[in-house]
Order: sequence, then structure tokens, then C-alpha cells
Amino acid sequence: MKSRRLLIVAGVLSLALVVATLPFVSACGPEAGEKTLKIGITTPSTGKAAEKGSPMGHANLDCIKYINEELGGVNGYPIEVVWLDNAYDAAKVVTNVKRFMDEGCLMFATASSAMMTASMEIANRAEFPGLACFNAPILHRPPQHIYGQMTDYGDDWSAFANYYMENIWKGTGKPKMAMHLLNNSTGYGALDASKAAADKLGIEIIAIEEHTATTTSEMESLTRIKALNPDVLYISSTPAPTALIIKNAYELGMYPGIPIGLGHAGITKALVDIAGADIVEGVYGVFPTANWGDDVPGMAKLIEYCLELHPKDEGNADYITSWAQSLILAEILRVALENVGYDVLAKGDVESWRAVETQGIQKLDGYDVEGLESPVSYTPGDNRLGKSLRVFQIQNGEIVPMTDWIEAPLVKYEEFEWFGK
Amino acid sequence: MDLPAGIRNFSYATDMAIFRTKTHWALLLALLVILFTAPLYWGNYWLGVANLIGITIIAATGLNILLGYCGQLSIGHAGFIAVGAYTAAVLTNRLELPFLVGLISAGVAAGLIGLIFGIPSVRVKGFYLAITTIAAQFIIIWVINHWSSVTGGFTGISVPLASIGGFVFKSEASQFYLIITITIICIFFAKNLVRTRVGRAFIAIRDNDLAAEVMGINLFRYKLLAFFIGCFLAGIAGSLLAHWIGFMNAEQFSLTESILYIGMIIIGGLGTTIGPILGVVFIRLLQQVLTVQVVPFLESTVALPAGFASGVTPMLFGLAIVLFLVLEPRGLAHRWMLFKSAYRLWPFSY
Amino acid sequence: MDELLQFVITGITVGMVYALIALGFVLVWKSSGVANLALGQLVLISAWFTYGMLVQAGLPLWLGFPLVVLFALALGWIIERFVLRPLIAQPILSLITVTLGLGYFIEGVVTFIWPWSVDALPRLFPREPLHIGTAVVSQEYLWAAAISLVLFGLLSLYFKYNKMGIAMRATADDQMAVQACGIPVTKIFSRSWMFACVLAAVGGILMSSIGGITFGLVETGLKAFSVVILGGLNSFLGAIVAGPLIGLAENLGGGYLTPLTWPGVREVIPFIIIIIVMFLKPYGLFGEVRIERI
Repeated sequence: MKSRRLLIVAGVLSLALVVATLPFVSACGPEAGEKTLKIGITTPSTGKAAEKGSPMGHANLDCIKYINEELGGVNGYPIEVVWLDNAYDAAKVVTNVKRFMDEGCLMFATASSAMMTASMEIANRAEFPGLACFNAPILHRPPQHIYGQMTDYGDDWSAFANYYMENIWKGTGKPKMAMHLLNNSTGYGALDASKAAADKLGIEIIAIEEHTATTTSEMESLTRIKALNPDVLYISSTPAPTALIIKNAYELGMYPGIPIGLGHAGITKALVDIAGADIVEGVYGVFPTANWGDDVPGMAKLIEYCLELHPKDEGNADYITSWAQSLILAEILRVALENVGYDVLAKGDVESWRAVETQGIQKLDGYDVEGLESPVSYTPGDNRLGKSLRVFQIQNGEIVPMTDWIEAPLVKYEEFEWFGK
Repeated sequence: MDLPAGIRNFSYATDMAIFRTKTHWALLLALLVILFTAPLYWGNYWLGVANLIGITIIAATGLNILLGYCGQLSIGHAGFIAVGAYTAAVLTNRLELPFLVGLISAGVAAGLIGLIFGIPSVRVKGFYLAITTIAAQFIIIWVINHWSSVTGGFTGISVPLASIGGFVFKSEASQFYLIITITIICIFFAKNLVRTRVGRAFIAIRDNDLAAEVMGINLFRYKLLAFFIGCFLAGIAGSLLAHWIGFMNAEQFSLTESILYIGMIIIGGLGTTIGPILGVVFIRLLQQVLTVQVVPFLESTVALPAGFASGVTPMLFGLAIVLFLVLEPRGLAHRWMLFKSAYRLWPFSY
Repeated sequence: MDELLQFVITGITVGMVYALIALGFVLVWKSSGVANLALGQLVLISAWFTYGMLVQAGLPLWLGFPLVVLFALALGWIIERFVLRPLIAQPILSLITVTLGLGYFIEGVVTFIWPWSVDALPRLFPREPLHIGTAVVSQEYLWAAAISLVLFGLLSLYFKYNKMGIAMRATADDQMAVQACGIPVTKIFSRSWMFACVLAAVGGILMSSIGGITFGLVETGLKAFSVVILGGLNSFLGAIVAGPLIGLAENLGGGYLTPLTWPGVREVIPFIIIIIVMFLKPYGLFGEVRIERI
């Protein structure tokens, strides 16, 4: 009895201690007086999309470290990052963004499009600018305060559809496409694009199937698709479910047989690892950044930091994407700093946010992101900063580019009455 | 050991009152004063935490009525909160009805759905009922996810800010007042419910439902009533949650949330009014302190393995639930009562 | 017609995997009357441990698998000793909730040790699927079905004829009487939890070969509950029969209803079945109806 009592007393005391020190701990933070530029970054580093979120979080922070330590920050001001994991949970990301706003961050960045979908309401209401790494039409149409680092999932579909019609489809008439979509903005982005453009391109969409991020078997949906005799299959999803679908398609004898195209969320090294290089041989995909090891100015530093700090992420395209995102964030801050000066930005309130948006993001003009992605610019009416991508194919376990940079045209989705419903 | 020595009551009213001594009233007033002036000295961040705690208390009180007082094992509470949240979201967003209409409808809708899924409770109990409620949660979440024309499906639905009359609850402080008021009303309601005939029927059902039926308590009616009331409160909490977060997505209402609610009322103490409050405060504060203060602090000083931040929270909670059940099954409320009695009997307490 | 055959084959084989996990649940229920709601998480952590042994530590199969079995035995023993034994004779609410808390804890441990949440085991079965008529079924499913049947046979025989097995059944029926007979109840609980964890481990290995190691394993654990409810909580035969039934319902229902209603109908079918069973025949097909007295 005595030991139990002791345990309980100890527990109560420690709890009381924790509660008592709360106000003091919250007061401890970065030393006041140090002039920094604060930004908020939230990634799904754990949870259902961790195979993407974890390397992305690493890359974000590694790049900021590189900028602060080797480049002396942005024009001498170090970048202070408030980094929070959102575990792919919509409520958590909303609380994270609220916290960013409270702590005086100048803007925020997310990795996943599903997470940005959740937080864009409060960000748009408060005029808090956000940069979405992975982008979907619903995030930036109609354009408000959320900007896309790259082309969106709809652009992926259009690019692949174009490539397919020009290079792969050898028959006559309309090819039949089946789509297998993840049940969030990743999948729906592709669906939106197909609804807007399939007829124009001359493609007939014969099947639209959905799956969850944690699915364990898609034999049943693929059986239905197989019965309709498609000519091509497009999968817009994250690596793990994509691997499962391709594996099931292989078992059903559908693949190799019909070409498979993937959105940029799926065609990464994680896919090859999870499915096995022999199963995904010959799968096509679209990706908007450079490839690992390409001869571009930014690649050397990226590889150096990756191998030193997070060697397990080597070869992962998501690492490149988030490193590029941090570079773009730094560039936005630099442009804003030059246009309005530090005092406006130091306040971290609505004034600063408007300044960062109008004098920073919207003044980007041809920043080359050190070659890691296509040059980013802002054109009025289009909240996508990067507008080009490339088509790839998996050959011998390597993701090999098949085209040069293709520019994705702007599609005004909000003009369709089915959009956003 | 409920009262200090020397209290005499001369009428039924004073005997039955909740607050009996002058000290009780004084403490209550002091608490109310502190609560209502909190926005003056709490920053936005802590007000946000307080808002979340308030909302959780409402839902936990509902679950306490269902589980602690009536003994119906329901592990699907997050699903009923989701019903309330989505009802409020759809009514205020798509149909543009006022906030109060959304609030009450959310409660009623959740109560009705709870009623429907509570019907099996008349035939089964214990584990079977638990599985039924888990199934109920999954079905509810599935319907929300797939009824896209109404609920926005997997993408989610945005929720306008709450407003009464012309006043819009935009700032954290104004939402704090709204939520605290409703929380106090709900706690008051729950406390009084237990003291009425309905409450006593619930307790009888919990202790031995066959005997209760023999005594003349209509099991069907009272079990369903318990489900209705418990889920009504969950619906109210859901509506407030929807307006507070601003964006609704079914992924927020996972089975893990339901388990967390059960953990909260068990840690707090089943079958007491103050139990849910203590449990909720304990768990939510622990969540906040861990994710916001301790982990970043540790991460900047000590090199931690990558999964620490998000792994440590479920680990600690699971551990807390298990430890509380093993060591202190009656929860913090019991400890609190022991403390109160010790205080009153001092220096004779042991 | 082809699709029908494919759906049926897929349904039966997937259902056998559910049945395997359900066997673990029935085992614990039959011997101690405890509902193990942490089943999905036990499967998950066993799968990750296998990954840790085979991939991270790079051990060969003949060394890795026995280690996984040892791990499962140890896990079961620890759970019983430290979590369930202090709660002997507590009301069922505490027992169920403690397994919930345990499951939550195990999820945290998994996120802690393997935070990247998704991975794959090395290929354990040949990748060529088997052709049955026009339908295909991957070898992993066949192995899962075969192993489930073998285990079912073993468990039924054990419970019927082995002394320890009979003691387990007696304990589930009336603990006090069993203690009065001099049978060590705690040893029985220990043993049953250890076996259940080994079953979960086997299920985990099989399922991760099929779909990779993700949190979907926990959801499959939940579907195993529907198997248990349909088949009856304390019947092995029920688990084996109900497993394929649920699998068939899922795939046939999903296959034919989806074009008519919404995509994703397949996920909710097991849960609707639970509700229907609750309304009609709460104790399941083969379950034992408990008669309660005051």
C-alpha cells in the first residue's frame, strides 16, 4: 500500500510542478532582441503520409540551416523556423497555423495539399499568406492568399494525358482511361483536370475509382476496371497505396499490358522501395523538380547536407522538393525585405503579412531556385509560382526523365459550375 | 465525508442544495470571477487551449452520463461529435442558418443518431455494445466522407464563425466567453440530472440492469434516454468545435479520439460530475505541454530520435490510461475527494 | 462472370486472413473472458518487429522468424503480467478500457521506433499469382488461408483434448471454481495471451507481405471484430466460417454495389454487418448464448 501511495503522491506532485511552471516555460523562447525573420512550416512527418512528410521536413530544416549558417541568413537576418508536425491530421494543422499566426510568423508553408486544404480557410480569412508545396486546383482557384510552389495535381494529369496522346497512343479513335484516385485533394485534383480537359484531348474516362491511404487490397476495384478494358490507367496518390495498386494490377495481369501514369505525389523513390523495382518497371509519372544528381547549381549543396544530416533520404525526390521550397521561402523574404525594410516585417501582424504577400511573393520574377525546379515567377491571376514539369519513366529502378520542361497552362477551374462542390 | 462538521439543515431545500456552506459559495464566486476575467491576462494561445478544454468537457460530460452513470459502454463518441459538428457546419455554411439554430440542431441530430445506434443496447451489453458503437462510429464517418454533395466528402467543409444577433465571435476571447458559458450550463445540467429520478434510474441500470428492470425501471426508455442525452451533449460540443476550428474534415474524428475520451473520463473518475473536468484538463494540458513546450525544448537540447515528438504523446496517454486503471481505478475525482476529506479532518486525517 | 469468380476467390482468401486474426481474439476470450481490443495494434507491432529483424538487422529468415515468435511470446507474457493480472475480477469496463489504453500505447511505441510509418517486408513469397480458372489469387493469400486452417485445426484440438486447453475453457466459464480445483489461473491467462500474440504475429507477417506495413493493419484488426461478432465470440469454428463470409460480403457487395452507389462501399460493409447481427442475433452464428441471472 505504501509504495502505491508514494507513486500516486509523486505523480500528483510532478503534475503540480508541470502546471506551475507552465507560464515560465512559455516565456522561455528565443532570446528577445535577436532580429530574425520568422516563418512557420508544418509537415506530416508522422502518420499516414510519413513516407513523404518525413524527408520533406528534413529537407526544409536542412536548407534553412544551410541558409542561416553558410549564407548568413537573408541579407544578414537569420530565418527562424517554427516547425510543427501535423501527423496528417486536419485539426492539428489548423491549430498549427493558428499558432504560426499568434507567434508572429510572416508566412507559412505546408507539404501536403490535403493539409493546406484544411488550413486555407483560416489563412485566407486572416490574410495570412501560405505556400503549398504540393498543390491542387482547389487551393489556388479562385486565387486568394495561398500560393503553390509548383504545378498542381491537375496539371500533372494534363501533362501526362498530352504526353500519352502524342507519344504512346497508337490506335485510332478515343483511348479509354481509367483513374484510381486517393480520397483527398491529391486525387481530386486529377479528377478536376480530367473533367475540364478530357474531351478536348480526345480521351474517354471510363472508370473512376477511389481508395484510402491505408488500403490493403484493391483487387476488387481493379477487377471492375479490368472488365471495362481500359487502354491506360492513371493513379493520383501517395507511394504506399500506389505501390499496392500496381502490385494488384500486376497480379490481375493488367500490367505490364496497359501503360500506367502517376501524379507527382506517387512517383518517388519510396514507391520503388515499397513495391519492388521489378513490379514498377516502365511506369510513367510526372514530376516538377530536378532529378537527384542532375547537373544544376543547387544540387551539390543539397547532396552534401543530405548525406551529412539525413543519409537515409538520399535519392528521394521529396527531399529536393522541400529544399527548393525553403529556397523559395528565403527568396520571398529577401524580396520583401528589400522592398519594405525590416521594421514592417518585424511586427509579424496583418501589415507584415500583406507586405510579404504583395511586396514579396507577388514580386517574384524568374527566381531560378538554383536549377532545382523551373524558375518561379508570379503572374497576376495565377497563384502557381512554378509552372513547368517533366514526364518520367521508371527504368531499372531509376526514375528517368523522358521530356524536357513542359509548361502547364493555367486552367480557371472556378468557371466550371461543378468545381468545388 | 461530504461536508465539514457542524452543518445543520433546517429544510429540504438546503439539504438538497449543491452548494451548502458559505465557503462553497465563496469558492464558486472566486472561480467564476477568475474564469471570466481570464482573457485579460491569458494570451491568445492559452485562451485557445482553454477553448479546446471547454469543448472537450462538454463532450466528456455527455460520455460520462452515458458510461459513468448508465454503464453503457460506448467507444464511438467521436462519431457522435462528428455528427454534431457536421450538422452545424452544413446548416450554417450551406443553408446559412444562424449559429444558435445550428447549435441546437447539432445536439438534436447527434442525439437522434445516438438513439438509433443505442437501440442494440437493449439487447446486448458489455463488449458487444462496445463493438456496436465502434461500428457506429465507422459508419457515421463513412457516411460523412461519401455524402459529398452535403458534407464536402473527403475534402471537408469550411465553417463560418459563430454569431449571435449581429455579434460575430471572431477573437479567441469572445469564443472563450461563449464556450465557457455553454460549458457551465452543461455541467450544471449534468450535475442536476444525476440527482433526479432519471439519474437514479441510470445508476440503477449501471449497477445491475436486470434488478433494475425487476424493480420497474423501463430499461428500453432509460437506456435510450441515456444515449440521447449523452450524444446531445456531444452534438453541442461538435457544433462549438466546428465553429472554433473553422474547417471540418472527417479525419479529425478517428477511433483514437474516442479512445482518448474514454481515457479522459476514466482518469478523471467515472460517475462523478467533477471527474470529466479533471480528466479533460489533465489530458489536454498534458497534450499541450508535451507537444508545445517539452518536446521542442528537448529537441533543441538533446538529439532525439525522429519519432519522439509524435510517438511520445500516444505512448504517455496509453500508459496513463493503463496506470490509472491499475492503480487508481476511481480516478482523479476519488483522489480529490480524499484530499478534501483529509483537509476537513485535519489534523486527524491519515 | 469472370468478375464473379474473381470476387469470390478474393473474398474467400481475404476473409481467411481476417479469420486468422479473429482466432487470436477468440483464444483470449475463450480462456479469460477478456475482450482484446488491442488486436490491431498487436498485429502492427509484430509486423514492424519482423521488419526490424529482417530488414534493419538483416537477419536471415531462419533466424528472424523464431525471434519474432519469441518476441510475440514475450509481449503476451508482459501484457498479461503487468496489465491484466492486476485487473483480475474487475468489471468488464476496466478490462476493455485497459486494452484500449494498451493499444494506444503500442501505437505510440510504433511511431516512436519506426516513425516513417510505411514500409515493406522483403519478398517472402514468389510474386507469381496462381490462376484458378480466369481468376487470380496471389500466393500470400493462399498461404494465409492454409495457415489459418491449420491453426484452426490445432487450436480446436488443443481446446478439446489437451489438459491445458480444457482448463482454459473452464477458466472462462467460472474462475473461482477453477481456482478451487487447484488449477493455476494466472498461468492459464499467461499462456492464452502468449498464444494470441503469436497468432497476431503470424497474421501480421502475412498481411504485411500482402499490402506492406501501414496503419491499415489496425483497421484490418477492426474488421476482424466483425468476423468475431458474426461467428460468435467464443467459437473457433465461428471465426473460420465467418471470416470468408465477411470477405465475400465485402468483395461481392463492394464489387456489385459500387457502380450503383458510392465508391468505397466495401469499407463499410463489415460494420453494417455488425449492426445487423446485433439487431438479429447478437451472439453470432455459433456463439454461446449467455443466460444472465441477477
